[in-house]
Amino acid sequence: MALDLSRWLPPVLLPPVLLLAAWEVLGRFDLVASGALPALSEILIRLWVDRADYPAHVTATLLASGAGFVIGNLLAVLAGLVFVMSPVAERLSRGVNIAIFALPPIAIAPILTLTLEGMTPRIVLAALGVYFVTMQATVTGLTQYDTRAADVVRAYGGGRGAVLRLVRLRGAVPAILSGFRVAAPNAVLGAILAEFGGGGRFGLGAYLLGSLGRGEPDRLWGIGLVATIIAGLSYAVFALISRRMLGASISLSLNPAAAPQVPMGAASPLLGLGAILMPFAVWWALLWAMQVPDMLGKTPWAVVDYLFLADTAPAARAKLLAALAETLPITLAGMAAGLAFAFALAVAGRLTPAFTRAFLPIALVTQTMPLVALTPLLVLLLGRGTAVTLWITISVTFFPAYVMIAQGIAQVPRAALELPRAYGATGWRELRLVTLPASLPWLFAAVKLTAPRALLGVMIAEWLATGRGLGNLLNQSRGYLDFGMIWTVAAVSVILSVALYLVAQGIERTVLRRMGMIRQN
Amino acid sequence: MTAPAGIVLSGLTKTFHGRGKSVTALRDVSLICPPGSFTALIGPSGCGKSTVLRASLGLEPLDAGKVEIGGQAPERATAAGITGVAFQDAGLLPWRSVTRNIALPLEVLGRDVGPAAGRIRDLIALVGLTGYGDALPGELSGGMRQRVAIARALVSEPRVLFLDEPFGALDQILRRQMNIELQRIWAETGVTTLLVTHGIDEAVFLADRVAVMQAEPGRIVDVVDIDLPRPRETALFSAPHFHELCDRIAGVLHGA
Repeated sequence: MALDLSRWLPPVLLPPVLLLAAWEVLGRFDLVASGALPALSEILIRLWVDRADYPAHVTATLLASGAGFVIGNLLAVLAGLVFVMSPVAERLSRGVNIAIFALPPIAIAPILTLTLEGMTPRIVLAALGVYFVTMQATVTGLTQYDTRAADVVRAYGGGRGAVLRLVRLRGAVPAILSGFRVAAPNAVLGAILAEFGGGGRFGLGAYLLGSLGRGEPDRLWGIGLVATIIAGLSYAVFALISRRMLGASISLSLNPAAAPQVPMGAASPLLGLGAILMPFAVWWALLWAMQVPDMLGKTPWAVVDYLFLADTAPAARAKLLAALAETLPITLAGMAAGLAFAFALAVAGRLTPAFTRAFLPIALVTQTMPLVALTPLLVLLLGRGTAVTLWITISVTFFPAYVMIAQGIAQVPRAALELPRAYGATGWRELRLVTLPASLPWLFAAVKLTAPRALLGVMIAEWLATGRGLGNLLNQSRGYLDFGMIWTVAAVSVILSVALYLVAQGIERTVLRRMGMIRQN
Repeated sequence: MTAPAGIVLSGLTKTFHGRGKSVTALRDVSLICPPGSFTALIGPSGCGKSTVLRASLGLEPLDAGKVEIGGQAPERATAAGITGVAFQDAGLLPWRSVTRNIALPLEVLGRDVGPAAGRIRDLIALVGLTGYGDALPGELSGGMRQRVAIARALVSEPRVLFLDEPFGALDQILRRQMNIELQRIWAETGVTTLLVTHGIDEAVFLADRVAVMQAEPGRIVDVVDIDLPRPRETALFSAPHFHELCDRIAGVLHGA
């Protein structure tokens, strides 16, 4: 069969086509979970039937994500500029940056919808989704400039400003554009999540929420499909723009500058302390600046009071600890399974490159699928038990980790790969000597990237499906209007997420330093 | 062309502090380049010759010593636009055309680029790149990029020219071609030139005087006068007196 097909199709298209065909057959005959997976044709027909519903929802989602994208990116580029020019500002803001990177959007969606009105929560969540990616890309772009070109400018009396204006800013454009590209789907996902968590009439998230209880898998799949397409298109648009804009102006040998080092000394521990305190100060300042009533908006101190000092504190603590005991183990287990699977597959793919080429596009497509849209579908397929949480966690960790490690392995210089071969080494030995050690930094980078996502996946699954753990506690407290608990869960899940990230980073540094391959980030 | 200015380096001293170990990059380096002269600075890798050049431009802070260009401190001289510079790597901005890359020093100096259009065209012709004004650096070969860097070094009508192994990355044939072109440009403009190189034949072919450096600590051990008549031509590379001079410098370099 496959042999006959390959005569008609380019080999790249073969796996997706086979996949779609299998999907159609499985769905057509209700082979999966008694009809939970509809055939592709059934989903498309349902999309056509529902076609009058979509424009209003899609427009609302596009508006919110578009506004969030613009605002978030503006702030991110400005912040990147400030951080590059002032290492002290960068060091001080590190806590806020990591918190924004790691925070599970689902945890703060209820807070945003409580304290902000109308479209604002959606825009804020979309902006939060793009900020870190673009800020990081801006810093990288501005830092890796050609020092020789900068020397030329300085040799004519140009100062820091002239170097920034003439060499670094324009040089950072490719990096910033690639930041936009990665950030674009994030904006869509953030907006949908806020729509989902915050009510409102229009938006794909609201549509999904309204359709959840009706037992119509074909509509849920249709919404998921549309959301995925929007997110995927937003990526494609910026991929196209950056290819158009860059053209011939890339290449040339580069003499990249080293990452800026914060001057070590007496000021350093003070800066570290400042970095830790800063997120709490920002939290406090935002509440104060927006005049949120005390009943709704809880300051850091109010959360401490709620958990440790008030009369109800022991009961609140017990609930929180019970939820954590449910959430944490499954987060770690799902993450470990997803990463191990991704690592094994990426390394195996090194031995069979054809497989990687076929698999990578599919992996990338699933990455743009919004998690909130994916979860109800997985519930349909897997039910509401632990399995669904585990699968969601594996899927959110597996794909980014796989893509990252596979790309990392692809970057191993040819010469390094060919050296063992030149001495007659077999594929396996070459793997052990070169590929495995070379891909380790990428594995760690993947751990850092996926740890916060794993927590997000678990919390969404708990909220939507299993009714356990932190996600459920958040959803319940929302129903009871228990504002103290809503803020507490939000704060705790952000701190937990940051802690997971920091642990991953700590292990990464230790191992890589021992192997002598510390990487600039 | 304005009158060339001289370079006076007196007692340059510089120590780099690494982890647990300090390297004396320069110890008491003194050198005088009279106005209009061509001086080559030669030495093994790591002897500090590039540091001398960077310090002369005020790019490298010194522990001790003084640099004067036309009687001015380097920071003032560079900001006044009386210096021109080309490094081993062309350091072109990949998004700017050849013309706009050559114009870069004018922009840094805050001068008007418009009126210089004619001179930039002449410079492009001078380095043999006529017709490439709108090309991007990525479309040029290594040798062509290096010639753009030379044109860029001349655009501010400098009175002093600093060249840091500008042809170091080129192959032998191209390098000799560039040497002849550089000699012609130097003769036409009369600009005081300090060339840092590790090629003995290049130094002897181009310079009036060759200052020889040695490493650890970086210092000038000898200054050899080159009494070959000008203009010098390719045939010189095989002349006996040329080789005598080369051998003499090699002798100093290797501590004989």
